[in-house]
Amino acid sequence: MQTQLEKNFLNDFEKNQNIVHKICRIYTTNQDEHNDLFQEITIQVWKNYSKFRGEAKFSTWMYRVALNTAISLFRKSKRNIKTQDFSDVSFKIKSVDYDDTKDKQLKALYRGIKELNDIEKALIFLYLEDKPYKEIAKTLGISEVNARVKMNRSKDKLRKILNP
Amino acid sequence: MDLANYKKVWKNQPEEKNKISALEIYKMTKEKSNSIVKWIFIVGILEFVFWFAINYLSTKNGALEPYEKLKLISFIENFNYFHYVLVVIFLILFYRNFSLISTVDDTKTLMKNILLVRKTVKWYVYYNLINVVVFSIILNILIFNTPDGINILSGIDNESFNQEHMVSVFIIVQIVFIAIMILILWFFYYLLYGILLKKLNKNYKELTKLNEVS
Repeated sequence: MQTQLEKNFLNDFEKNQNIVHKICRIYTTNQDEHNDLFQEITIQVWKNYSKFRGEAKFSTWMYRVALNTAISLFRKSKRNIKTQDFSDVSFKIKSVDYDDTKDKQLKALYRGIKELNDIEKALIFLYLEDKPYKEIAKTLGISEVNARVKMNRSKDKLRKILNP
Repeated sequence: MDLANYKKVWKNQPEEKNKISALEIYKMTKEKSNSIVKWIFIVGILEFVFWFAINYLSTKNGALEPYEKLKLISFIENFNYFHYVLVVIFLILFYRNFSLISTVDDTKTLMKNILLVRKTVKWYVYYNLINVVVFSIILNILIFNTPDGINILSGIDNESFNQEHMVSVFIIVQIVFIAIMILILWFFYYLLYGILLKKLNKNYKELTKLNEVS
């Protein structure tokens, strides 16, 4: 029997799970790790869900908890070391109206992001998700000026990786 | 292709095909966390137990009997009372700092609070090591200033036994004991915390480093 809080959580989390999948794709290197990180984020979001007061959108609040889990809390399990790197296999995200060129560009983008460090990954992820600097600074706990400087450097680094 | 175009590609990426069902998500919430925070808590508690056990065992099982003969028992007892007060203070600090950790905080605050817990445990271990060294030095001075102190302590009262030889053995045993302590300390810090906090330390430095002039 699920409580009302559990029902609300499942409804909110299920609707926004795509955010979590994107974070898992940029912070892990194989499917087992992806699943482990997804599970850890689910646990952390659920553990803190009672603190979510609805002042912000659930998705905005979830970005913070999910990124915090990926950057600061997640421990890679040793059993995952030998599994296949999924940067070389096809994403299971193709749809009928999605052409091959875009698929290749998306894969190139993911591969490029994977070469960044954890903080740069978070900055670029929030940029790609169209988050304003004010929110990026607040999520990471740094000043807006600092966020802009770090973002410019991260973008430069990514540009060089994508267009060598 | 510039980043603005890549951003469009990102935004138009199809949704994850293998979506996790509500039931699977529900099952995941019942699983146990395997986060760094949990392991720091476990390792921290183990360190408290380890040092407490070392101290407790050294005063039990008749280990203090020879010291009674040397009339050093009140010194040892007072030293222990002082020690237990500090252990309680460290435990309160450990609990307080641990309860500050919240995944809802911003990334920098979260990392700072995790590292604060680790620092509390680090100071606790340093304190214990200093305690062992200071206690040993004071005790040695008191023993050497007591006539036949070493003989009473070792339980050997044979006068034909080489006194100088006894002093050497006594000192070597203590050096070996302190070396083992340092080895255990190294194990906890450079092996255990190294594994647990390497990524966190690196990320914290990256996030907090000043904007150096490029």
